[in-house]
Amino acid sequence: MRAVAIAGIGGMRFGKYGDRSLRVLGEEACIKAIRDAGMKPREIQLAYVGNLAQWEWGQGLLIGHSVLREIGITKIPITRVENGCATGSNAFHEAWYRVATGACDIALAFGVEQMTVASSEKILNVFTGRQHAERDGDMGNSAPGLFALMARRHMEEFGTTREQMAMVAVKNRKYGARNPEAQLTQALTVEEVLTDRMICDPLTLPQCCPRGDGAAAVVLVAAKIARKYAPIPITVAASVQVSGSYSDTASYTSFDTDVRAAAAAYRMAGLGPEDIDLAEVHDCFSIAEIVHYEDLGFCCKGEGGRFIEEGDSGIGGKIPVNTSGGLLSKGHVIGATGISQIIELVRQLRGQAGRRQVEGARVALQHNGGGFIHTDTASCFIHILRN
Amino acid sequence: MSQGVKTRRFIEEGWFHDFGQGLSLTGGRCPACGWIYFPTKQVCPACFAPDQGKVPLSTKGKLHTFACSHMGPSGLPTPYLIGFIELPEGIKLFSLLTQCDPWDRILKVGMEMEMVIETIRQDEEGNEIVAYKFRPSRGEPS
Repeated sequence: MRAVAIAGIGGMRFGKYGDRSLRVLGEEACIKAIRDAGMKPREIQLAYVGNLAQWEWGQGLLIGHSVLREIGITKIPITRVENGCATGSNAFHEAWYRVATGACDIALAFGVEQMTVASSEKILNVFTGRQHAERDGDMGNSAPGLFALMARRHMEEFGTTREQMAMVAVKNRKYGARNPEAQLTQALTVEEVLTDRMICDPLTLPQCCPRGDGAAAVVLVAAKIARKYAPIPITVAASVQVSGSYSDTASYTSFDTDVRAAAAAYRMAGLGPEDIDLAEVHDCFSIAEIVHYEDLGFCCKGEGGRFIEEGDSGIGGKIPVNTSGGLLSKGHVIGATGISQIIELVRQLRGQAGRRQVEGARVALQHNGGGFIHTDTASCFIHILRN
Repeated sequence: MSQGVKTRRFIEEGWFHDFGQGLSLTGGRCPACGWIYFPTKQVCPACFAPDQGKVPLSTKGKLHTFACSHMGPSGLPTPYLIGFIELPEGIKLFSLLTQCDPWDRILKVGMEMEMVIETIRQDEEGNEIVAYKFRPSRGEPS
């Protein structure tokens, strides 16, 4: 394997873009990333696109080809991937692998999703319908439900409080307000989070990420040619993918995927959690961020509640987490989410994160979990980046 | 279109069976390695052995965790309760919870629960769809 660097990034504010097509959203992000790399579109040798589903209507196939043809990228291999909520990270991982193994020198990875055009019922059906009858929507299953069950068990085993979970939403909104690409930017207090509408007890509305529309893109290049394109190339020190183990003995207070992926990623990078300067983790729900602190080794098992309460995951703390505002502020735009997390870390490592800059950031970790089957996430990706 | 006469049907026919002591959930049991799981499967996921057996699952278990949902599919009136039930066979079973009002006083992690068979919703023609739920146990502990 050879070293791979990120040479260009292209993000956008996630929001409601029902009046634009999936294709146009994808184009915008790809154009930005290619321009950021100072590249011509014809230099791209391979592309992966993350797109989970066409949620309500419209063409659902060949979205990658449709987007790229519009901006002059044709003939090269183009592949769509799907891996639940970690779909975007899967596109990045595949592009990284192709460059790392020498199959090509320059690859594009982008993700695009348009979720606000669909009804909640339709989304629930796409997530839980037909494959596992004992776990489908008719039996009461939902994403907030699964995370509320995890929250209750975590409260019971470790004394984690509703206030501590609310603090995750407060922190992420605070940073979301500093990110021009965040969807929700209004500051919240713990009191406001706790008294907001109950979605699935113990989780209130601000503790559940909104959905949205948008796209995100990055250009990856072989590290040996990175300087040609990027003044500050950001190196991929680890890229890891694992799938769930779905154990019946799991206590449901930890993601086995996280633990295994983190161990592999630290080993690959030759680093440990103590070397991480900041992280973007999959905060689809407030409790998820607390569990990720523990599973990624940022703190001991059961101490995630204290980690947020004592400011350890804030800017100026031990490991600032979700300086972008996280999914809780940006919204979860499934195909684009993972790549959007990587874009935030590249900005931080370039020193271009403005009012949310983590001073002296050298090493950053991205975590993206996808889907939920039984007691575990179905897929999990971890990337470690360094400048 | 059926008019008037409404029916009751199980959400999944293969889930329930009377093994001699009333209806219980049907688990799969691997004749080769002894692993028990739910629902039944084509092969044992642990050792890939074919010809899987069927066993009644315990109708009692412990409440591992629970939550009260204020949103969900249109057929299910909100709020509704969900939980994971830990069966003596080692299975963690996702389930709707019932007959536990007020839930926030009654439900406790680790408490004994028992299975009941109840309607979970009506289909578009008004027929009742029936499945398992768990309620706080009224009998002997498992």
